[in-house]
Amino acid sequence: MPKADFLTGLALIGLSLYVLIESWRMPRLEHLKIHPLSVPGLVPAFLASVILIFGTALVIRSILRGGHRLGFTLEGFRQILNKPGNRRLLLTAILSIGYAVLLIGTLPYWLATGIFILLFIILFEWKQGMDSATWRRYLISGILIAILASTTITLVFERLFLVALP
Amino acid sequence: MTVLIDNLARFLSAIGGFITPMAFLHIGWATLLGIIIGALPGLTATMGIALITTLTYKLPADLAILVLICVYVGAIYGGSRTAILINIPGTPANAATTLDGFPLAMQGLAGRAMGVATSGSVLGSFIGMFFLATIAPILGNYALKFQSYEFFWLAIFGIVISGHLTALEDPIKGWIAGFLGLLVAMVGQEGIHAYERFTYGTTELLGGFALIPAMVGAFGFSEVLSVMRNPPAEKAESPRDSIIPKLADVLRYWRTIVRSGLIGTVIGIIPGVGEDIGAWVSYAAARRKSKEKEKFGKGSIEGLMAAETGNNAVVPGAIIPALTLAIPGSAPAAVLLAAMFIHGLRPGPLIMIESPQFVYQVVAMVFFATLAIFIYGVGLSRVLLKVLAIPRTRLMPIVFVLCAIGSYAITTRFFDIYVMIGFGIVGYILRQMRYPMAPLVLGIILGDILDKNLRRGLVLTDGDLTPFFTRPICLVLWLITFSSILLSINPVRHALMEIFSWFGLKIRQLMDR
Repeated sequence: MPKADFLTGLALIGLSLYVLIESWRMPRLEHLKIHPLSVPGLVPAFLASVILIFGTALVIRSILRGGHRLGFTLEGFRQILNKPGNRRLLLTAILSIGYAVLLIGTLPYWLATGIFILLFIILFEWKQGMDSATWRRYLISGILIAILASTTITLVFERLFLVALP
Repeated sequence: MTVLIDNLARFLSAIGGFITPMAFLHIGWATLLGIIIGALPGLTATMGIALITTLTYKLPADLAILVLICVYVGAIYGGSRTAILINIPGTPANAATTLDGFPLAMQGLAGRAMGVATSGSVLGSFIGMFFLATIAPILGNYALKFQSYEFFWLAIFGIVISGHLTALEDPIKGWIAGFLGLLVAMVGQEGIHAYERFTYGTTELLGGFALIPAMVGAFGFSEVLSVMRNPPAEKAESPRDSIIPKLADVLRYWRTIVRSGLIGTVIGIIPGVGEDIGAWVSYAAARRKSKEKEKFGKGSIEGLMAAETGNNAVVPGAIIPALTLAIPGSAPAAVLLAAMFIHGLRPGPLIMIESPQFVYQVVAMVFFATLAIFIYGVGLSRVLLKVLAIPRTRLMPIVFVLCAIGSYAITTRFFDIYVMIGFGIVGYILRQMRYPMAPLVLGIILGDILDKNLRRGLVLTDGDLTPFFTRPICLVLWLITFSSILLSINPVRHALMEIFSWFGLKIRQLMDR
């Protein structure tokens, strides 16, 4: 955790400095003769200052706990990627983001949704060395769930909630 | 006395308003869905309410809020089933329930444990509801005296206390989450001069980040990610004994029930401190006061009762500040608050003047939702086990589809889907690093209140900060806020302890003379 805290602290310092600069650069709207203490940049600058303090505290604390010795190696990175949990996480993220960003809007909604659900189910339920009968059973139930879920969701949103689907 | 009779009449008329087949239909499906959402590990109350909000746009306002409250009450109760049967809290609110619920199930008493959870949840909800009906009108009237100075401190107080209590072992992370939330709220057109902050010319960001897609991301997508990362849950088995709540358990532990109900309500009222903390604090208090301390953690009925009473009492408690101050008491209440705004309701200090009846309608909604969890609690067992048996590989893609379409449906903008994904990823990373989500959400809601009131206050006093520190309510709020921060800095705390013990010693010496 100290390593993560060290990096988060740095990111927070970066973010708060950025917000401070942006707040300073915001117009003071003098031509509107507004009260100088009601300028738009006041509160963001205040919040950024607080985050700057917390971020610095986080960095100092993590340095005291040795978090600044990051020691990143390619091997360590590979080990992280090889953990089954992290692989599942990565696959979930790729599938979900791919569906939301690429599939929706490109394909008709029902089709995009059906493909996503089917892919999700078969990619996660497929195991090496699975016999073909089990595999076929998984595949058929995956297809059925995909069709059922995608049709229901499409109909409910389009007909019942009158949403213009993407 | 007349006020009391007036209020009772309003409550009864609100109850009468919901005795329609349509309302019962909604109570029925929404509470059941809430219980299922709560029972499924990975689907939380906040996520459930956020997703269901997107399904209730087309409903009339009162029915939509009724549905959401039923989902809320149902989800917090439903999580107890999973906690008892498979030792995994269905929602974070049921974490304390696992401590004694699961050992009871291991002793073959799963049914009895579920009965205790049902009676605890129902009574906790009723205790909270009583205080919702009595405190909300008083607080509402009192809040009319609040000016910009008080609202500024209320926002800071909310963030600091919520940050502290939701990240007890490392409060700085809670505060960071809260202030990040406030910062997120700065994006978009500001409320005084209509200047566009941090929008960089995009029209999508003019209104800032919409709360519902942000919540669906932070509580929905990030949860999908973490559920898929964790190893699969064990399969639950059917209880062998009766799940009907026993009156003897209630009578024997009535003190624990009342205490936990009170604790839950108070925790609920504190901004952004939710059901999980309510359950933990009730559990700890019950253990401290118990005559059977040794049983705690090994299958204590009293401990289970305390946890389940405490978490459900938070629900009405958390609605109190949401209704009267527009400051949510918990993360699910934050979504509920957003939903109220979407439906054109205006919670806040003016509620007791503009629509006092609505407060009692909400009380009536909690009442019906509680009755429904009781009915399902007694009758529902096998259906829920079937739902729990659905593998996550089949459930999670559907949940994500709902996250995406739910975010899109509000304003039919692709941008909101991207907001959901962005908040989901950031939420996941922050959660992995032990940053609590509740203060973040609270920050997003309180950002606007803080922004307007700080600047308004400064303009009113022409830059003089004195009223911010000397007005009575401000004084209390900033003293609590600063002591909360100072006391969590170790050297400061030790120094204060030294000073206090030195004073204690001196006083004792003086007394001895």
